[in-house]
Amino acid sequence: MSIPGIDFFLTLIIYIIIFLIVTLSYNLAYGYTGIPDFGRAMAAGAGGFLCAALSGRLMAYILNIQGDYIENVIPIVSSINAYLSENPLVSIALLLFSLVLAALAGAALGLLASLPILRGLRLFYLGVTLLAIQIGFNTIALYWKPFIGGPLGVPVPDPFRWLMNYSIGGFSPSLMRLIGVIFASMAVLIITIYFCFSVSRSPLGRLLKAVRDDEECAETLGRDARKLYVKVMTVSYAFTGVAGALFAYYGGYVVGTHFDKVGWTFWPVAMVILGGSANFKGTIIGTVFFITLRRLILFYKSDLEFILPFSPIWLEYLLLGTILILTLTYRPRGLFPEKPELTLDKKEIQRIREERREATSSSLKT
Amino acid sequence: MAISATLALSITNVPNFAVATFGTIGIYISFTCIKIFGIGLYPSLIFCFLGGGCIGVIIYYLLIRPLRNRGATREELMIATLGLDVLLISLLNIYADYINRTFKIRTRDFILSVYDFNVNGIDGVFIMSTLVFIAVLALLHLMFTKTKIGIAMKALGENYYLAESQGIDAERICLITWFLVGALPATAGGFYPVYWISNPTVSFFIVVSVFASCVLGGFATIYDAATGSYIIGLAQTLLISHLAKIFGSWILPYNFFVALIIMIITLFLFPRGLYGLPWDKIISKTRSILLFVRRRG
Repeated sequence: MSIPGIDFFLTLIIYIIIFLIVTLSYNLAYGYTGIPDFGRAMAAGAGGFLCAALSGRLMAYILNIQGDYIENVIPIVSSINAYLSENPLVSIALLLFSLVLAALAGAALGLLASLPILRGLRLFYLGVTLLAIQIGFNTIALYWKPFIGGPLGVPVPDPFRWLMNYSIGGFSPSLMRLIGVIFASMAVLIITIYFCFSVSRSPLGRLLKAVRDDEECAETLGRDARKLYVKVMTVSYAFTGVAGALFAYYGGYVVGTHFDKVGWTFWPVAMVILGGSANFKGTIIGTVFFITLRRLILFYKSDLEFILPFSPIWLEYLLLGTILILTLTYRPRGLFPEKPELTLDKKEIQRIREERREATSSSLKT
Repeated sequence: MAISATLALSITNVPNFAVATFGTIGIYISFTCIKIFGIGLYPSLIFCFLGGGCIGVIIYYLLIRPLRNRGATREELMIATLGLDVLLISLLNIYADYINRTFKIRTRDFILSVYDFNVNGIDGVFIMSTLVFIAVLALLHLMFTKTKIGIAMKALGENYYLAESQGIDAERICLITWFLVGALPATAGGFYPVYWISNPTVSFFIVVSVFASCVLGGFATIYDAATGSYIIGLAQTLLISHLAKIFGSWILPYNFFVALIIMIITLFLFPRGLYGLPWDKIISKTRSILLFVRRRG
């Protein structure tokens, strides 16, 4: 069975899911708590690079494959893949283990990155610092050879390989693999959504918004805003780290130039802002819209090449910059502005109001 | 460049992330002047100054003024300048592609050192850049202390509404500031291709050094920014070349780590930068130590 364009469609779904995890967790930091976090790519990189560096070495150790990992990375990883395609259980265990590890790495990085806040750093400086540290982080990943092979990069062991042996509904092996990736990332996405929604509806969500709107005011009410910033950064970096790991497994190959600041910081910022910050409906719609647009540009790249007098890659950048500026100028609160958070149901509030009104009118009569 | 970023932040209260890309604009203006119009290296710096200034003014009108009139927060302005940065980078790349296809010349990874002159074995770029640096600093110093515009700028930076109520034309001052904000990094960018290999995405790496200089300077006055950028620049070039002799050349791509480390140390030890240090205390203490030593001697 082959449906035209299904390859494109499945890839699109994977991108949307992975970036939804990133934007939802970013929304937690920027939209709810108001941290201008411009180092988000670092969190995704922590997950992705860790997968690339560790999972292959771990499997090589378990399978007792000798030899320097970076020198003979391609034969080692292909023998690991051959083993993984025979053993679904080991593949799933590897996937789960590395996702947990990626979350831990992301959390550790978030904790480290937000420590300056405790020293009394202003949030504006934090944005600048994170941007700079992120560039440094990527440079290490690109040039430090023992880590992930320097400029050449390394292949990542593929825990979805075993799916290629099965064929449900007549899908081709590569499509089966994509479907596996979709299921795995969907599970992560559901956890993320559940977490974010329950935070946003809880007193904690309202506290975050209060800290964003007025830090000093929240502090006078006995809340430690600085500790809260650190906590939020840690949690949201952990989610983004998992997204990075999923992306590394999906791509199957990692180089230091992956997880760059434009793709993993600026685009998520644009998605959150266009949709409307502190608002999950807006964030989801913004993400879906932008990812579809990006994939379409990439898909029709070769056709655009003839029409435009320049390389179409820059069209993506051009679009990103223009949309960011236009949104901020004309619709600063996004397509779906944030709604006030109600502690009770709307109907409940209406009922209480009615009761009050009746009570006052009856008291006036007497 | 650091002077420009500090100017933008302290006077118009805009954190400008696109400052390094303004420098790249300067690189391409001088490239166009030299390669296409056949103007010499140093005369083209004038065009860099003017062109960068014009771009600064355009950005002020199209982006900063509408945002400020709407009452945008600092975070929003930050993101807006990030968007501007990406937009400018894409435009520069498009321009480079366009030039490449119409004039059939190489527009990426170029170096313009052949156009430089040479005095007794010292490259002209060292002399000229130092001269221009001193001239810019002197002119800015004169402007801030002697002219009405400079004093008005300072007042605007202190308190926008108070300055306006004193009869300062805030609109005009902001315009002049943004002309400088665009012009200074573009001029600095004009020097860049003489010494380093340039391409449209070079600003990704300059930006770390620029912000490190600003943070070290403390985002307050032009003097601190100048000192900060001089320290960072010296540290980056000298330290790295020394380290490369010790450890080998693999360390060279990490050269901006020096700036990064200095920046982090600054943020942890004295978050307000050089400007925030208690200078009068430090000076009196060193003086007393010197006196003590002299008496002993």
